[in-house]
Amino acid sequence: MRAIEVENLSRTFNSLRAVDNISFSADAGEIFGFLGHNGAGKTTTIRMLSGQLLPSSGSGRVAGCDIVTEQRRLKPLIGVVSEHQNLYERMSGRENLEFAVRLYGQDMQRVDTVLEQVDLLDRAKDKVQNYSNGMKQRLLIARAILHGPQIVFLDEPTRGLDPIVGREIRRLIVDMSNQGVTIFLTTHYMEEADQLCNRVAFLSEGRIVALDTPSNLKTAHGQQHVNVTLDNGECLSIALDGEDGGRELQQLISNGDVRTLHSAEATLEEVFIQLAGRRLSE
Amino acid sequence: MNLSVVSAITRKDLVDAIRHRYLLTALVTPLFVALLFRVLLPDVNNNKILTIVVHDAGGSGLVAELRKTPQIGVIEASSADATASEVKNRNAIGGLVVPAGFDADLAASKQPELTVYVNNQKTVFEQAAFRRLLDQMVRSFAKQPEPARLVWVDVDKGADDQKRGGTSLDQILLPLLLILTFGMTGAFVVPLLIVEEKEKRTLDFLLSSPASLSEIIAGKALTGVAYTLLIAGLLLGINRQFIKNWSLTSLTILLGLLFVVGVGLVIGSLLKNTMQVNTWASLVLILLLAPSFPSIGITAWFDKAMRFIPTYFLSEALKLSMAGTVSSQLWMYLAVLLGCTFIVFFAAAWALHRRG
Repeated sequence: MRAIEVENLSRTFNSLRAVDNISFSADAGEIFGFLGHNGAGKTTTIRMLSGQLLPSSGSGRVAGCDIVTEQRRLKPLIGVVSEHQNLYERMSGRENLEFAVRLYGQDMQRVDTVLEQVDLLDRAKDKVQNYSNGMKQRLLIARAILHGPQIVFLDEPTRGLDPIVGREIRRLIVDMSNQGVTIFLTTHYMEEADQLCNRVAFLSEGRIVALDTPSNLKTAHGQQHVNVTLDNGECLSIALDGEDGGRELQQLISNGDVRTLHSAEATLEEVFIQLAGRRLSE
Repeated sequence: MNLSVVSAITRKDLVDAIRHRYLLTALVTPLFVALLFRVLLPDVNNNKILTIVVHDAGGSGLVAELRKTPQIGVIEASSADATASEVKNRNAIGGLVVPAGFDADLAASKQPELTVYVNNQKTVFEQAAFRRLLDQMVRSFAKQPEPARLVWVDVDKGADDQKRGGTSLDQILLPLLLILTFGMTGAFVVPLLIVEEKEKRTLDFLLSSPASLSEIIAGKALTGVAYTLLIAGLLLGINRQFIKNWSLTSLTILLGLLFVVGVGLVIGSLLKNTMQVNTWASLVLILLLAPSFPSIGITAWFDKAMRFIPTYFLSEALKLSMAGTVSSQLWMYLAVLLGCTFIVFFAAAWALHRRG
């Protein structure tokens, strides 16, 4: 079953076309990466798919619900972690979740369950304004999964977090996926996408320029090369795509000049640069 | 509309609002001002007996009412001319000369003249309390908006500056405090509740939850209504002795409340952040409050200009309903207020639709 199906979806703000005729689908339980530089249209896409914004044209179905006509049915089936830490700062972590429970009409007992899941049970009574960035991010995830959604949209969930907290968040994402939740993930971190996502879509200026598994993208668009260290200490990177590279490597080996030899494949970031024309962080 | 979603939002806001510095200030300001007045004007609301010298030529029912009032002690004056000197000699707070045929003139809506002497040797607070009490009693007795022409005469003052318009404190103070409460709701509380959700991006969370925009707005409006009713209720409770008609006063308050909540929704929908609210809300508050300030010493054009502000009708309706004066004028004021309420709610719907 398709968790997300999007066809020719567009959104225009005045004269700016933020999302331009995109089509894709994501399967149930899949971690789908949506990668693009700032202003590429990632957040606008999430806002449309989560019923916060109406598309200018095109159509979309999320968890089997039309994103325009079935928003009431759709919203209990999805969870959203915004790129902003949009929590009620004067309220405690528990109060934030209790409010969400009331909005979703859930059982109050869910609060303790998810607080334990994100390891915040012992800080539940503290005001959110006293939480660290990592704790706030975990609370956001707790709020998004509180009502047991089928699909969770995560907009830059690890941005600005230290590596250890980032790893914790990634662990939570994998946990959610293991429980059968479909994850729609936007991130700036290519390694993260490479590590987590079953498939990724590259978005540039509102358009999808590539969509496949990270491995296929790297194979199809990246350059295979080897890193060679010679006996004289010189380091070389030799591309293997053409005949010249192979011949050069063969020559070095037969001359006995090679001290170490490492194969290297293209990174997802290199593929992105090649396809989108600029770095993700630009 | 899902009422459980609306009540969840209201419940959250009711708790969260009192933790918000600006909102808390906006909510308690009217109560603080009321307490300040009570401290500054200690005699305003106490049960001290006010001794009044009365010359009643025609056996008016008004004087009978005065005698029945526990806060008033009545002393008879032998003649109208002797009233002023009796006030001074008996150390009374004031005196009253009721002309013969006063009750009949009232019944015929002739607006008869009533001369009231005020003893200037008493404290200003006692004088204010006397003025208020008497004015209230006359209105209550006649059941008309402006039943009699009260001529206030200060005992012990020069003849030239003796006569001046009377101002009763409750005519000004309680409606002013109530409108301050409403103004705070309309200008600060409701807009801040909406704007903060936009500013902190929590609106994105709400919009991705089962709450619709109209449910979110209803929740905010309900929070404004709840807090305003609480503050207004406390103010009325403190000043309950001056409310002659509770049902009319409640109706007026309800209409006023709806009007200012509508104003708050418009402001909250149009503005984007707390700073903008702070800037614009002060102006809105002054505008809403202006008609309830006393007009003494201010030019006639100012009074006329005030009639273009809906809170003028609210202020006047409050004065009449609190005095228990059921008149066509009161219904006219309430009708205008209702019309203005419809207009602001249409404006709010337009502003919200534009945002959506």
